[in-house]
Amino acid sequence: MFRTVRRSTGPLGALRTLFSREYDEKVAVGGVTMSVDAGELIGYIGPNGAGKSTTIKMLTGILVPTSGEVSVAGVVPYRRRTENARNIGVVFGQRSQLYWDLPLIESFELLRAIYSIPRDRYRRNLDAFVDLLAMNDFLHTPVRQLSLGQRMRGDFAAAMLHDPRIVFLDEPTIGLDVVAKENIREFIRGVNLERGTTVILTTHDLADVERLCSRIVLIDEGTIVYDGDVSRIKSQYGRTRTLKVVFTHPVAAPALDGAHLDGVEGQIARFHFERDRVRADALIRQASERYDITDIALEEPDLESIIRTIYLEGYDGVRSEA
Amino acid sequence: MNFSRAFAPYLEFAKKAFAREATYRIEVFSEIGSLVLRVYLVRSLWTALYLQNAAPINLPLHAMITYATVALLMSLILEVDGTRLIRDKIRDGSIATDLMKPISVPFYLFSDGFGRTALHAFTIIPSLLLALLLVRIDVPPVPVLLWFSLSFAIGYCVNFLLNFLMNAVAFWTIESFAAQLIVRWTSDLLSGSIIPLTFFPSFLGRLVFALPFAAIYSTPLLIYVGVASPADYTRMVGVQLAWLALFGVISYATWRAAERRIVVQGG
Repeated sequence: MFRTVRRSTGPLGALRTLFSREYDEKVAVGGVTMSVDAGELIGYIGPNGAGKSTTIKMLTGILVPTSGEVSVAGVVPYRRRTENARNIGVVFGQRSQLYWDLPLIESFELLRAIYSIPRDRYRRNLDAFVDLLAMNDFLHTPVRQLSLGQRMRGDFAAAMLHDPRIVFLDEPTIGLDVVAKENIREFIRGVNLERGTTVILTTHDLADVERLCSRIVLIDEGTIVYDGDVSRIKSQYGRTRTLKVVFTHPVAAPALDGAHLDGVEGQIARFHFERDRVRADALIRQASERYDITDIALEEPDLESIIRTIYLEGYDGVRSEA
Repeated sequence: MNFSRAFAPYLEFAKKAFAREATYRIEVFSEIGSLVLRVYLVRSLWTALYLQNAAPINLPLHAMITYATVALLMSLILEVDGTRLIRDKIRDGSIATDLMKPISVPFYLFSDGFGRTALHAFTIIPSLLLALLLVRIDVPPVPVLLWFSLSFAIGYCVNFLLNFLMNAVAFWTIESFAAQLIVRWTSDLLSGSIIPLTFFPSFLGRLVFALPFAAIYSTPLLIYVGVASPADYTRMVGVQLAWLALFGVISYATWRAAERRIVVQGG
């Protein structure tokens, strides 16, 4: 439950806000019930303001829920914050936990002291991460001089040095180039598989989820609207297929029975159809009988377009359409 | 969890803060320069004032100049706002990541402030040597110096908590600069850092001694220059400790309340 100051509008609005305050109360997270098993790698996604960060804050113990229960590895985070802190690792794509003025290695040394990591284990983890994340070249560079990609690698190592059982990743690939993104994804996958670390990944980049997660939890307006397999959401809610047809000669108004024309660009036409109403092979046969065709392609929607539809039309909208 | 392991992170925080502060070399040098200039100014000011007025019996001119110079040297340590970090951390939201670590954030802030202070403490030596070119400072006997050190250490903690409380206002208002300025000015005037509190007339005099600010500069300084008699030391230090305890309790309560209402901006 959040209380925000309602700002008055109009020319004297700012002044009125200064003297009298009205509050808006808003439930940030209301219907989130989920449980995550050890060793899972789940994608926790939802539009901006859906309540993702609020959930993460409750799980990390820095936000006290007004009602409900939270338990992380058997610990109630907000009651025993420091105990919980030893079990978890956190990476924020938009905020570094490294010490800005100090060389990267000194942040790691500091974390060794903070988590009282035994020297040999620290050494072993550090060597492994320096190797995996190729950090050798900038280990002694002050953090403020690192590129975003380098800093993120540093942040990942920092979050993992104490062998947390659970890591929370909040938009860990934001702003990274494709190569850096892929490297980070590889690292996340490796940590999850080899160390058995439970990973909760919050992101707007659905390619992250598609590559890494088998389970996806979708939240909107503080409520979970989907919790299940990535493949299921794709098969259940991604029933629309696109058929791309390339004609030998331009065709004025192409039409196929059972499919809707999306548009024509020169010799290329796009149709969409419902997978469970019309068979793709029937459409292709129909197209090749009616027109001269050089190429034909069937496109299935990616996770991003499915999620976009859910964001825009609501979860039920998708269900009824499907 | 044994003691040294529990203590290790905080020692490390202090060391890092010391190293960080040492990178601002120009600031450190200009601090020394500015201090020497201020020593010259207070010497001129008090000399002129003493020429025009009858000197108080227990505070002759040389004692007054000692008082003012020692106060300036103390300010090298006491003016380091060891908890400014809170305000910065609230504004940029990094307080949240600190809370996700298995540490006590107030002790972290104290260690960081202590580390920064330690660097500034080193500037006392060159500042003192340079100041000695301008003024003569009385040196009290060793037992008095020990009482002074104890009283100064308590004063440092009271000052730290006062700063902490001022900066902690930012938990509720995000910005706390104005509140801080007011307290700073009040503290400058009422702590005895500029004017010995014994100079305040009757009622005002009793009032300023009853305020917590006196515990910061006035108590150690009055011990140092010998205005306070040894018979009063225990009582004076006891009053300081009482303030420290009270501020400690208030700070603890404030922190607990603040911890419970942390809302990271734009999270």
